[in-house]
Amino acid sequence: MISFAELALNGIVSGLVIGLAALAVTLVFGIARFANAATGDVMTLGAYAALSGAGLTGSLVLGGLFGAAAGAVVGLIGYWLVFRKLGGRSSVAALLASIGVAFMIRAVMGVAFGHGQKVFPMPMVRPWRILDIRVHPNDVNLCAVVLVTLAIVFAILHLTPIGRQMRAVADDPSLARVSGISPQKVMMALWALAGAVSGVAGTVVGIKTVVSPEMGWELLLPAFAAAILGGIGHAGGAIVAGIALGIVQEVATPFVGFTYKIALSFVVLLAVLLVRPKGLFGTVAGAR
Amino acid sequence: MSSILSIRNLRGGYSEVDILNGLDLDLAPAEILVVAGTNGAGKSTLAKAVLGLLPRLSGTVSLAGDDITRLPVEARARAGIGYVPQVSNVFPSLSITENLAVVEGVTGQKARIEEMFVLFPALAARRRSRAGSLSGGERQQLAFARALMTRPRVVVLDEPTAALSPALVEESFARIASLAATGAAVLLIEQRARQALAIAHRGAILDGGRVAMSGSAETLLADDRAAALYLGQQH
Repeated sequence: MISFAELALNGIVSGLVIGLAALAVTLVFGIARFANAATGDVMTLGAYAALSGAGLTGSLVLGGLFGAAAGAVVGLIGYWLVFRKLGGRSSVAALLASIGVAFMIRAVMGVAFGHGQKVFPMPMVRPWRILDIRVHPNDVNLCAVVLVTLAIVFAILHLTPIGRQMRAVADDPSLARVSGISPQKVMMALWALAGAVSGVAGTVVGIKTVVSPEMGWELLLPAFAAAILGGIGHAGGAIVAGIALGIVQEVATPFVGFTYKIALSFVVLLAVLLVRPKGLFGTVAGAR
Repeated sequence: MSSILSIRNLRGGYSEVDILNGLDLDLAPAEILVVAGTNGAGKSTLAKAVLGLLPRLSGTVSLAGDDITRLPVEARARAGIGYVPQVSNVFPSLSITENLAVVEGVTGQKARIEEMFVLFPALAARRRSRAGSLSGGERQQLAFARALMTRPRVVVLDEPTAALSPALVEESFARIASLAATGAAVLLIEQRARQALAIAHRGAILDGGRVAMSGSAETLLADDRAAALYLGQQH
């Protein structure tokens, strides 16, 4: 029982990360209207930037900010050079282009940092024991980072003018334009925000596990799954679904083994979609 | 006559085929102008051309003497063209207040939102509700309020009564009539030409992408040719 509680706790941590990645996916889908396959590799880039930043400054917090900033910058570059030009084309064209962007980022990371695994220099800390359940202080810190990031994203979306405009464009892009909202400004804010979220997600994954050029790509499918499970375009849904998938994966590991735990999360996804085709929180389809 | 909106020799359409074929139209300040005509005459296309939503366009559209033909949609909105679409006229997931606050190019935004709530009291009571929860009539009020946020010089209404239940049509026309009091000129695209002309100053009847007849509302209502060909006998 106690080991299950520990697995579940672990699941919450990895689920929050999946949720963060799914949030980046769902933001882009809701506003730019395509599934951005480069999300995972922007995470990788964020992790490497955070690793370099932490190495330079000796501070993990500053490293994480490096990761977020690098994600935002690459998000903006990707928009400006690639996705901006594809505006108005089919979402399949943008999806394929994003796969290309993903491969490019991964190749650059491989050349720049090598293909070996790197780890963040984390101090060894004895886990706490709460009701006989082992709780790692690092995990608690990572949860806090994810929750703060989520709070910032939701505050931007709901409390700032640009966030309101992003939600308006997600609702109805042409009505947004006739209301004087510049699509380009909203897109730049979106890509910077989604990139920063991906950068933080990558940093958290890197701290929790290892940093390698493939790390983000491997998280892309769970992130897509969580975005769909939560109801595509629904920011809160992405987080809840990410946590749910994370817990299912971890708790199932003793039964199905490490190799199949990802497959299991897709079984959950399929089962939920059979009952609720729009996902857990989805209402009407966002795309028109 | 000094026009607030002036349209000259407008041609264009969605693909290769021209739907507008050299259309000229003038709108005076604070005037309500009804644009009527059969389906396919180019009414909605004209609205899109004024808003900047038409992919292919030649000719000129001027707002208060400034050529806005090449301005993108959002810049025209900020320059003073308000638009109430026929359907999809609110942001459903935003609250009523957010629907108004999201509009760009509004000076004194908070005060302007309160002015809108005075103008449309039904909205004030539900300002925190999501726009998606509103009825058709309430949505239209919100759409009017959103379009008026920028204190527009011209408001384009695309068949405002088409999606409403018959009981709401009269209320909607009364609301349109009161728009002129805000100082905005109204370009009213409308199928229900008789009812529309009753609240309008002038009318223009389109045929084949041109203005086939135009004149004061009274003249058009009394004209047999207009009535028979374009207005429909009953509506």
